[in-house]
Amino acid sequence: MSDDQVRREVYRAFLETGGAPTARDVAARLALEEQTVLAAFRRLHEARAIVLHPGSTDIWMANPFSAVPTTFQVTATGRKWWGNCIWDSLGVISMVGGSGEVSTACPDCAEPMELAVNDYQLAPAGGLIHFAVAARNWWDDIGYT
Amino acid sequence: MLLFRSEEHVDSWCRREGLPRGGTMSLEQGWRLADAWYRRRMEPDWQRYSPEEAQAIFTEIGLTGAFWQLRA
Repeated sequence: MSDDQVRREVYRAFLETGGAPTARDVAARLALEEQTVLAAFRRLHEARAIVLHPGSTDIWMANPFSAVPTTFQVTATGRKWWGNCIWDSLGVISMVGGSGEVSTACPDCAEPMELAVNDYQLAPAGGLIHFAVAARNWWDDIGYT
Repeated sequence: MLLFRSEEHVDSWCRREGLPRGGTMSLEQGWRLADAWYRRRMEPDWQRYSPEEAQAIFTEIGLTGAFWQLRA
């Protein structure tokens, strides 16, 4: 078993179910001991390939996917996912074949906003993306970033 | 990274939150960044971009300047 097999099983589960798998789920799929998967989760977290909830071995993020509801909902191929931010939400669309929609709201005025991508082409839309945190500090607090 | 209706809405939100204005990019830049970052994430033996590779992607889509530097 390699950590990359575990990583890809985490992503497969997100893609197919819209949510994070547990270590037990991954262990069952890959015919591994749960403790083996938990150790892989911890190493993948240290390598920033996934993000675990603080003080837990539950998956919080496997970027671009979020295991918890956010203000970014992605719809594509008849399925729905939560993105961690607008960058990640567009990333979900890239990962699932290049066509889909992101639904969110302007943080300032709460006006609903939608972005659509068709065959890897962004449809014309108004708006812009703001990053509050400078690039060199993104991983200081990835939940906030 | 949040999606705003306009520059004015970014300024209004930053004032209300007590945050300095950060960096902005167009929607097209955001899409290009997301596509470059995530399209191959499911491939076997995917590796995170090195800081140098990531910086090259930023530069290619026009994200230059101190705010977008991955290393101080």
